[in-house]
Amino acid sequence: MEQKRIWKPWLYCVPALLLILIVIVFPIVYTGYISLTNMNLYHWTDYSFIGLSNYARALFKFDSGFLSALGTTLVWTVLNMVIQIGAGFFIALGLNAPGLRLKRVYKTLLMVPWAVPAYISILLWRVGMFNTEFGILNKFLSLLGLGKVDFLAGNAIAFLSCMALNLWMALPFMISTIDGALQSVDSSLYESATLDGAGFWVRTRFITVPAIRPIIAPAAVMTTFITFKQFDIIYLLTQQRGYMTGATLNTVITYAHQNAFASNNYGLSSAVSMLLFVVIILFSIMTNRSLREDQA
Amino acid sequence: MKKVTALLVAMALCLAALAGCAQSKPQDAPPANADQPAAPADTSSDPVTVTVWHDGDEGIMQTIADQVNAQLADDQITVVFEKKTDMPNQLKLYGSDAANAPDMYFYAHDVLGSFVAMDILAPLSDVTDTGILADHLPMTVEAGQIGGKQYLLPVYFETLVFLYNKALWEGDIPGTTEELYDYMVSHTDAAAGTYAVVNQHTNAYNVSPFINGFGGYIIDENAKPGLTDPKTIEAAAYNQKFGALQADGDYNTVTTLFNEGKAAAIIGGPWLVSGIEAAGIDYGIASLSDIKLPNGSGLAPFSGIQGAGVLKVALAEKKDAVAKVLTAMASPEVGVDLAVKSGCAPANNKSYDDPQVAAKEMISVIQKTASTAQPMPNIPEMGSMWGPVESMLTAINKNGADPAQAAADAQAAAEQAIADMQ
Repeated sequence: MEQKRIWKPWLYCVPALLLILIVIVFPIVYTGYISLTNMNLYHWTDYSFIGLSNYARALFKFDSGFLSALGTTLVWTVLNMVIQIGAGFFIALGLNAPGLRLKRVYKTLLMVPWAVPAYISILLWRVGMFNTEFGILNKFLSLLGLGKVDFLAGNAIAFLSCMALNLWMALPFMISTIDGALQSVDSSLYESATLDGAGFWVRTRFITVPAIRPIIAPAAVMTTFITFKQFDIIYLLTQQRGYMTGATLNTVITYAHQNAFASNNYGLSSAVSMLLFVVIILFSIMTNRSLREDQA
Repeated sequence: MKKVTALLVAMALCLAALAGCAQSKPQDAPPANADQPAAPADTSSDPVTVTVWHDGDEGIMQTIADQVNAQLADDQITVVFEKKTDMPNQLKLYGSDAANAPDMYFYAHDVLGSFVAMDILAPLSDVTDTGILADHLPMTVEAGQIGGKQYLLPVYFETLVFLYNKALWEGDIPGTTEELYDYMVSHTDAAAGTYAVVNQHTNAYNVSPFINGFGGYIIDENAKPGLTDPKTIEAAAYNQKFGALQADGDYNTVTTLFNEGKAAAIIGGPWLVSGIEAAGIDYGIASLSDIKLPNGSGLAPFSGIQGAGVLKVALAEKKDAVAKVLTAMASPEVGVDLAVKSGCAPANNKSYDDPQVAAKEMISVIQKTASTAQPMPNIPEMGSMWGPVESMLTAINKNGADPAQAAADAQAAAEQAIADMQ
């Protein structure tokens, strides 16, 4: 009877575990296996075990270029997250302002950037917004009598352009999460605080923020990871073959792609992937630990 | 009862999750080892379908399929073209998988080296008599060879030409690049968004007329990158002043500028024609080989040879059918149909005897340009060169980098990329 009690919960979990095994664990293990082989264009089917030499080569790739990419990634992640949470919070507060008309319409419209496939959004921004000949921004500048600006040419301006697009694409998720969290705050707390003479900033600091923090924390952590491993915006806006803009901006993922994945050497690419996986796991452990400390 | 139901649902989920792992048709699967000698193939008169993967224009593929299928109707052989996005990478994944690989593929010759290195292609001589290529243009035949073996059946080829808007272009097409530059200087107003000539000036393919014309090269037959070759640097530096007058230089920008009448001329290929005609532009075509560089050589663009290769896995069961398909594809009739219906320049020289083909301006210009055009290198390492060359041209044309320094950086990146392939 006791034994039955032990295995039965596991049996119920088998479908979910199996799914996790196939979708998450197997690709990681297989990538780990490939990283120990010489699988490449010349050894597509007859690849063999070569130990850790791909890791030695991958670590060699983590040179000054990688460190610079890591620095860019950290700045990119911090700036994006601060603006996303800050702007998301105030926009959500605005959407919940008493007496605001058509708030459902605004909330629906704010979801549009999130609903559009990323590739389409990036293409639209590259051609429709940033293009030197046809982009809205340059049309606007020429109306003002100013010269054309290539928003994707230099590293600094390309960084800001990529960030603007990332915020446009990512803010709806943060707004909707914070908006949902705001609904859960007991309105009687605000009423009592108002009677006690608390103003907007005091109510926000001592009621709203502590009340919604546990709810938005997981969304913030998830978005931090998505922002950290951002690839498509920077790659498609500045680096795509045939559309290189002159910016040499790299995040760790675009750097790894540029240096390993374009070579058709799957052993080396897998070793780079495994090292990036370790970096992200370490980052995840650190974030979760600070989250737990916050909650404690 | 609830427990039993939960257990049954759990088991059903497990089975459903694993169902996708099953082989689709295990009983029909041919031998996995493609290297095994081909068994006596389809000698019966059963209908045979030959699948060809491509990533090109569906109208062009339909033209080929219609002509080939008409020729092979009595043999009950049907060719079916299947469009696959990013076909080269899909073929790398499935090329040796007998259950999922196509029988043939249709693509440009520059990816040939990668497929041969992966050992997924059969030389044409293993399938049919290569005498079927006797009437083909030598340049197109050579582009389909690796290590002296013919792997690609050339069907048509394309290269860059000078397309101009007759309503906007003033006077004759210049005979030299210096005259062309003078014309560009006097007819370009970047602030107003009007240009004399536009080109994808950071794209290696589109700058190849300068690089090849100056005697430089991107990579040689021994897989040695040539970006620091003095001739290549000279060409990149010379192209810089043209790039400064050619707008942003990405594909969408330059084609839209031309199609909207904001650029009087564009350097491009036959693939632009449908868009230009749809825009209602009265256009003329000139050969780049007629425009001479300061060294006296004509501009010498790359040429891309489009053709068909045979997967090894197809030999086991469809060798005879594939041989007949290759013979039909090599016929002049396919070239004539492609020229008349799709404006493609046939690889088979006999197709040009047809008066309809001879009357096509685009085709005669491409045929003329073939005198200076150079086939893109088809060695596997070429795939690692596009990125570094584009980085070099972008640094020079958009960031004003010193050509020699940009070339040295790109050469180092290219050598590293080639080393990484091993």
